Amino acid sequence: MNKKYKITYFVYGTILVLLFVIPIITQEAYVFHILCLIGINIVFACSLNIILNIGELNLAHAAFMGIGAYTSTILVMRLSLPFWFSMPVAMLVSAIISLAIGFLTLRFKGAYFLLFTFLFAELVRILLSNFWIGLFGGIPGLTNIPRPSITIPGLFQTEFTSNVDFYYLILVLVIITIFVMRRMDVSRLGLLFRAISQSESLVESAGISATRFKILGCAIGCCFAGLAGSLYAHFVGIITPHDFSVHAVLAPIAYVVVGGMGSIYGPVLGTSFLMVLSHFYLRQLGLYELLIYGIIIVLIIRFMPEGLISIPRVISPWLTKLSRKE
Amino acid sequence: MEITLLLQGGLNGIMLGLNYALIALGLSLIFGIMGIVNFAHGEMYMLGGYVAYFLIGGLGLDFFSSIIAAVFIIGMLGMLFEKIIFRPLMTRPKEALTSLIAAVGLAWVLQMLAVIGFGDLDRKVPSTFKGIIDMGGVVITKERLVTIIIGIALVLLLNIFLLRTRMGMAIRAVAQDKEAAALQGVKVSRVSAISFGIGCALAGSAGALMSPIFSVSPFLGGEVILKAFLVVILGGMGSIPGAMLGGLVLGFIESFGSLFFTVPTVSAITFSLIILILIIRPQGLLGHE
Repeated sequence: MNKKYKITYFVYGTILVLLFVIPIITQEAYVFHILCLIGINIVFACSLNIILNIGELNLAHAAFMGIGAYTSTILVMRLSLPFWFSMPVAMLVSAIISLAIGFLTLRFKGAYFLLFTFLFAELVRILLSNFWIGLFGGIPGLTNIPRPSITIPGLFQTEFTSNVDFYYLILVLVIITIFVMRRMDVSRLGLLFRAISQSESLVESAGISATRFKILGCAIGCCFAGLAGSLYAHFVGIITPHDFSVHAVLAPIAYVVVGGMGSIYGPVLGTSFLMVLSHFYLRQLGLYELLIYGIIIVLIIRFMPEGLISIPRVISPWLTKLSRKE
Repeated sequence: MEITLLLQGGLNGIMLGLNYALIALGLSLIFGIMGIVNFAHGEMYMLGGYVAYFLIGGLGLDFFSSIIAAVFIIGMLGMLFEKIIFRPLMTRPKEALTSLIAAVGLAWVLQMLAVIGFGDLDRKVPSTFKGIIDMGGVVITKERLVTIIIGIALVLLLNIFLLRTRMGMAIRAVAQDKEAAALQGVKVSRVSAISFGIGCALAGSAGALMSPIFSVSPFLGGEVILKAFLVVILGGMGSIPGAMLGGLVLGFIESFGSLFFTVPTVSAITFSLIILILIIRPQGLLGHE
């Protein structure tokens, strides 16, 4: 193993250990509330990143999170199924619906996917707010969603009622998500996605159906959006149609863009950076917080298109130059 | 009774439709020339409304001058954004995606600036034309009639500009084939800047035009961009006649639909209908493949 990899693994290892021992340092519920939200948003941002990776923007991505959240909640509350069953089902339902939408729209070039997802997001919001109110709860949404529980008889039992317990659940799921994203990125599939985003026609000329893989990428992304939705519903306990409107996808776009589109750790970095900034430092700014978010998106897209994650790469030639001079 | 009700609905439909068409024309023009889905388009409409609010309510200018002022101010603003934000993105890879995200950010910034600068209250613009015209039971306020006339005039002006002037021809040439147009000596960067300016100016003029009828608020943009997207999907992205037809169709659906159904039902029907159209005819009613 060469030196570079050793350093990388050391850094990741340290971060992981730190994340696991945070509860020793503090037990404050608010801190863990925010940490859990950051974790859920990391899953969501990573899933959005997959769609951006195939060169599309899904404005209904929050709607897929909503589909996951509502599916999971309805299964748990109306049919009394356990969370551990309803969460995978929520992921599956999001993925299946996105397969249908991908099949209908990704065949066409241009802005059709974008426009269609925009419409779909609004349609989902209208349906959830105004129809089948007995099932979806209308505009006030669904409340008192229970937290999941684990019981291993005689050995271990928790109900995840405290934010610290839920934090560990989310931490494990975030690590699994990042692991899956990483494996996918270095696999043939990840290479294909990247090739498609660079030149669809080149991929097609190699005899590979770009459309089919774009549909697959879209489904994988929406599947994880469903996971984020299910976690969000059971963590926060209240879901309303408004939480999953077109506007709900704007902040996650900022997270991904600021961190770095297309890289694995970019969305993780961007989400953590912006959410920590906004929840611990910019809270009192109110409206100015959103203004700052908007300005950050425009500036990053304009001057640093690869995001914060590219900073080490940008400054490392600089540093070597400096050290050589000395 | 029934007939007058239908005619009444038709008049309202035309007014709404012209409004939607003006917004969607600009969106379509910008997409056709630069391939940018200008998410900040609704905010141009909102700012146009505020131009009218400050000029009519604040400075006491008349309605027509305030519309002309909105066209110029918002047009300039559009050209500025094109120059400092969008043009540099066009030379980079993945320009469609990055320009879209930049537009999303811009929309956000403009909306928040409007909230901070103008307050989040609904502002009412005083109406210049008072009174109604009664045409055998079909009633229209003079204000709405003037709005319809100015709307038609603006659409006609745009058409004359695109079809009869040299710049209009250059714009159509770039929309068809950028490289070929450049080879013929068309300055593509100038055409882009002007089209972006005109597109934004159209939205701004619609905002000023509608400001006495609907009140002005910083959050108008989100609603408006939704309608504009619907129209553009209906008519076909990048098609000018499509945007006009789409605008009128949506105006009529909303105006007649609200006579018979509740508002959520109308929107659910509209959305399902348009999704269906998108599935059957992805290029829109009048678009080309």
